[in-house]
Amino acid sequence: MIPEMFRAMLEKPKTEAYPYKPIELTQRFRGKLDIDPAKCTGCQVCALVCPAGVITLIDMGTRKVGDRELPVKRPLFDLSSCIFCGECVDNCAFSALEMTKQFELATPNKEDLMMRKAVK
Amino acid sequence: MNAEQNKPTRREETAGLIEYSTENLVPFGPIHPALKEPEYFKLILEGERIVEVIPRIGYVHRGLEKAAEMRPWVQNMYMFERTCGICSFVHSLCYGQAVEGLTMFQVPRRAKYIRLIIAELERIHSHLLWVGLMGHWAGFETLFMWKWSDREIVLDLVEAISGNRVHKSMNAFCGVRRDMPEGMEDRIVERMKHITDRAHYYRQIIDTEETMLVRTENVGNKVDQETAQKLCAVGPMARYVGLRQDVRLTDPYAAYDEVPFDIVTRNEGDVRALLRLRLDEIVVSANMISYAVEHLPEGPIRVKIPPVIPAGEHSSHCEAPRGEIFYYVRSGGGRIPERVKSRQPTLANIPIALELLKGQTLADVPVVLTAIDPCFGCMDRMSFLDTDTNRQWTWSGEQLRLYGIKHYFPERFKE
Repeated sequence: MIPEMFRAMLEKPKTEAYPYKPIELTQRFRGKLDIDPAKCTGCQVCALVCPAGVITLIDMGTRKVGDRELPVKRPLFDLSSCIFCGECVDNCAFSALEMTKQFELATPNKEDLMMRKAVK
Repeated sequence: MNAEQNKPTRREETAGLIEYSTENLVPFGPIHPALKEPEYFKLILEGERIVEVIPRIGYVHRGLEKAAEMRPWVQNMYMFERTCGICSFVHSLCYGQAVEGLTMFQVPRRAKYIRLIIAELERIHSHLLWVGLMGHWAGFETLFMWKWSDREIVLDLVEAISGNRVHKSMNAFCGVRRDMPEGMEDRIVERMKHITDRAHYYRQIIDTEETMLVRTENVGNKVDQETAQKLCAVGPMARYVGLRQDVRLTDPYAAYDEVPFDIVTRNEGDVRALLRLRLDEIVVSANMISYAVEHLPEGPIRVKIPPVIPAGEHSSHCEAPRGEIFYYVRSGGGRIPERVKSRQPTLANIPIALELLKGQTLADVPVVLTAIDPCFGCMDRMSFLDTDTNRQWTWSGEQLRLYGIKHYFPERFKE
């Protein structure tokens, strides 16, 4: 115990200095979701695999394919329910989704956590 | 306290407890600083000594088994991962193994090794947390702080591998979701060496420090092997009386049949034996991780399976840090399961916990209850008891729903 006590007196405290200093994140850290609207095709796979019900698909009109009129849908994200599992990112065949390193998401305003980039 | 209000119920009378006086009843819980999650233990005292303990569970029942019947297979994996924060990977592993048994796909070898590494990292972090808690309840707050600072080493490793400290989300059906990052092997081996040295040091502390000796030596009613087996103890609660009971040895899953290890048993039968056992298990786990990391095979980490699981039923069990976890899964051939049953180790360890409390003083109750490493949030169950007729039953979800409708809208049941 005594050598441990001396060692503890000489070392600096183990407390992280956050929020006064930025915190070190690992490369695989999963933060807030981000979408690239140009790559999204509205295939709905992300909505089907999401465990938390974050993604709703909004009708954005129709498009003509040959003789048929097919619906066009785009995802709307309610990130307040997101559990940051990354299933949507893994399952997107068009690599439209990625998880950023942003984790300071607390806000009194729910609109800040609604990601409408794809439905504009 | 009015003696009339504390009259023992019919159930307690038929359990043979008619003689106790209700004036000596000390309620422990449901909310108590010593318990992380609420459970109610009625302690019946004779002076300072505990004579009988009557538990009452069900305060944090969340209905996960019912919720699992309404979600697709993959979503259930994330839900069961959140059964517990400390043993979250092992829950998703056991559920994943139960479902993989219904499909015809095999898990790649590299995925099995990665699963072993993460499961053992989880075991180390859980045991470090627990030894810290024992120091906390023994009054040795410094040990608590040191242990948890060592636990940060393990959590940093887990974060580097999986991206998250607690809910790792590493498991997928027939594989793992992420591979080991580049350059992790040396870092893991070096950190495991450090953890082993610290575990040896803490072993020395609990054997020599007066605070820990006084609070943990000869504390806890000594049970023998036969009693422990009769009370269905699992995990460290069986191993600390000398039973060689470990799922990793008797029914190997993941890569446990390829990585050499030996399980730890003790035979002193008091709380200090549990401390020594869990610290030795940390050393065993650290060696297993170093071996697995050095012998990691090449290959794919995942086999993608279709979202529809064939019909059938399968079960799987794993060794969580607290004991044996058991999952049963039944599929009707669709996208959602028909029935998932999960049995957590703390539920099996409650009878032996009650046995350990007999004869102890009131002041030892937090130490002894923490000694079984309880995780009541995982284990809760709900059942119905009619105290007048002493009939006990469980309801299915459909019956519960009908009961609710009958209660609030009795006019709908005029049939």
